[in-house]
Formats: sequence, C-alpha cells, structure tokens
Amino acid sequence: MNHLTEEQFEDIMQGLLPEPEHLTDCDLCRELLAEKKAIANRMRSAFDSVKPDKRLANNIRMQLTDKAVSEQPQSARRLSNIRFKRMAWPAAAAAVLVMAVILGVYVISPSSAMAARAELVKIHNHNLSTDHEHEFYSEADPVKLAEYFKSKLGFSPSMPITDQGMALRGCCVRHFRGQVVGSYVVDTPQGIMSVIVVTDKPETLGMGGKFECQGRVFWKSSFAKCDMVTVRLGDYSYCAVGEISHEYLTELLSRLMPDTHQ
Amino acid sequence: MYRAAVAMCGDRDDADDLTQATFLKAFERFESFEKGTNCKAWLLSILRNKWIDLMRHRNTVGQILQIDENIVAGQEQNDEIKYSNCEDLLANFSDEQIIKALRSLPAEQRFPLFLVDVEQLSHEDVAEIMDMPIGTVKSRTSRARAILRTKLFSHAKEMGFTGGER
Repeated sequence: MNHLTEEQFEDIMQGLLPEPEHLTDCDLCRELLAEKKAIANRMRSAFDSVKPDKRLANNIRMQLTDKAVSEQPQSARRLSNIRFKRMAWPAAAAAVLVMAVILGVYVISPSSAMAARAELVKIHNHNLSTDHEHEFYSEADPVKLAEYFKSKLGFSPSMPITDQGMALRGCCVRHFRGQVVGSYVVDTPQGIMSVIVVTDKPETLGMGGKFECQGRVFWKSSFAKCDMVTVRLGDYSYCAVGEISHEYLTELLSRLMPDTHQ
Repeated sequence: MYRAAVAMCGDRDDADDLTQATFLKAFERFESFEKGTNCKAWLLSILRNKWIDLMRHRNTVGQILQIDENIVAGQEQNDEIKYSNCEDLLANFSDEQIIKALRSLPAEQRFPLFLVDVEQLSHEDVAEIMDMPIGTVKSRTSRARAILRTKLFSHAKEMGFTGGER
C-alpha cells in the first residue's frame, strides 16, 4: 500500500486535493491527517487570543497621519530632508489610504482640507498619548485653564459648562497649520474629546456637513475613527474631535459661552 | 499583521515594534505595491524582511537558529509518541504554550507554518512572501508541523496530559 506523500497531505489540507479513497482504508494516513488538522486548528485558536494593544493602532495611525501631513505638496518642497521625499504626493496619499484601511480607519485624501482634519485628529491623539503627556497641562479647574491659555495664547477660549458627567482633563498648546493653537480635553460619559481652538474658518477645515442646532450653525466631518464638529464663535472656530457621535460633540459645543473670549 | 509579528518575535514588545516598523516601511515603499495584487501578502513579506533586519541589527539570528535546531534535534527522539485523540490532547495546552512551541521552531519553518495553518494563505502566496519555491513551502510546512507535533506530544507526556495515549 502506498501511503500519502507529505505533498499530498499539504494539498489536502489546503483543499487543493479531495481526500483520496486511500484514507478510508489506511488508518495510519487517516490518523496523520487528523493530527495535522488538529494541530492547525489548535494553532488558529491559540492565535485568536492574540490582540494588539489599542495603543499600537493609535501609534501607527499617528505616525501615518504625521506622514500624511508632512507629505502635502508645500510641505514636501519645504522639507527637503524628509525620508519619503521621493514619493509623489498622490502615491503617499494612496499609501496612507491603504494603511488606514488596514488599520480599520477611514479615508485620507490629498486635499489641504483633508490634511487639516488629519492635523486636528493628530492633535487629539497627541492630547491622549502618554508619549506627549509632558506637554499636557493636567488641570480640571476652568479658571486655571483659562489663566494658562491667557499666558500662552494671549486669550482664554470659551469653555463648556461641565455637568452631567463631563469634566475637564487639561489642556495643551500645539501647532496647527504652522500656528500655535490651544486645545483642551473633556472627559464625557461617551468618551474623551478634544476641543481645538483655531482661527481658520470651518469651511477651510474640510468640514462638510453644515447644520443648525439651538440657533447656532455647526459643521461636521470625520477623519480616521474620529468624528468632529465645529462651531464658529467670534474670531475662533471650536473643533470638537473624538471617537464620539456628532450629536454628542454638538451637544458639548452647544454648552460653550459665546462671549467669554478675553 | 500583529499576529504574524507575535509568531516571529514571541515577545509582545518586539511584536509591537515589528508591526510599527512594517507599516512605516510599507508606507515608504508603497510605490512598489502592484495594484490588484495581494496586499496582505505584500505586507507580510515586508514584515518578514523587517524581522530579518531587526535580528541582524541585534546580531542574534545565528544564535537563535542554532539554539532552536539543537532543541529540535533533541526532541525528535520522541517521534513515536501517538495519541488516539489529538484534539483532546491539544486542548490541554494553553494558547501561550502553543504559541511558545511554535516560536521554538527555526524561523524559516515557523513562518511558513504560521502563514499556512494560522493565516490560511495559499502555498503560492507563502512562496511569494518567503521568496522560495512552492515545493519548498510545502516541505517546510510539513516538516515544521511534524516538529511542532513532536514537541507538543513530548511536553504532553512530561506533563501527564491525556488524550488517549497508545
């Protein structure tokens, strides 16, 4: 009796060969195949428990977002020493798109509006990242946060009324489109959000959906896993960013006092 | 991708580094990706190359292979152990033990076995990732599974696990 060869076993395992009649007559080959299948199944189930830490996906997302931002045409010309300078911008955008899809996030496109949203998400990610916590001013008292902003930015942005489970976590001064901007973080029952205060108008930030709520005009958009809603108050746009629904972000922005800029 | 990194590195921290390095390298080399081809296979080949780079960087590849092959040589003496119910026997092992046993195989056997049995990739895809002929993929996979079986059964015997030993 000719037993099955290793190659035949491999092909049967892959479903390339139907199980031959030999298996009905040969206990040895039948048991061997059962063993191989059992080992493969057990390995698969063992690796089912292997899951990456959430921080890993965030880190990779942040690094890719950094690349997306730095690969804008103007930036690419300016930053002649960047590692990926030979990659054309559309190719870079496509690369980020593919990487983003693999990482379970949505779309990045090469437009500057899209890059603006990428930057906003990057600021939010930095606010949450332990790697950047030394840059973060942890403080829940809105008065102290206002003083901090005043000293750093020359004005104090509007802050929300934080009740119903909301609490200020702290703030940070970062760069957006080459300008220094302020952002603060709010813990909410639905998750953590950053409010980033910029001078750019919502239309230039790639905020597509315009809508009205409680007599105010808002703009909404999404980038990566984050939703974002923007409202214009005085000379500033307040962009609420987080893995939180548009409705809830809007609710938070609705709590901002329009006349608190000092 | 992370699972593949764990299979290659064993250590979770190293797997994190390898996964990150893979995605950044993929971004850098995106122009080399041919539209319509298997993106997962392309990424896994980058992961494999990055792993080789990392090992070279640490200057430990030779050492690891040498140790692994010694272990394998020692354990093949238990090749004749047989269990009537392999599935029951394997259920005695924790997930970590299974992964550790896989990890103890030489890299050039471990990775094809992981790709075929865990990721369920075709021999053709694995051949492309490993940059080797399909026949070699089949023989390495088969050999790796046999060694893994021997290691697990040997360990099961030591630990007194039951699965209907014959």
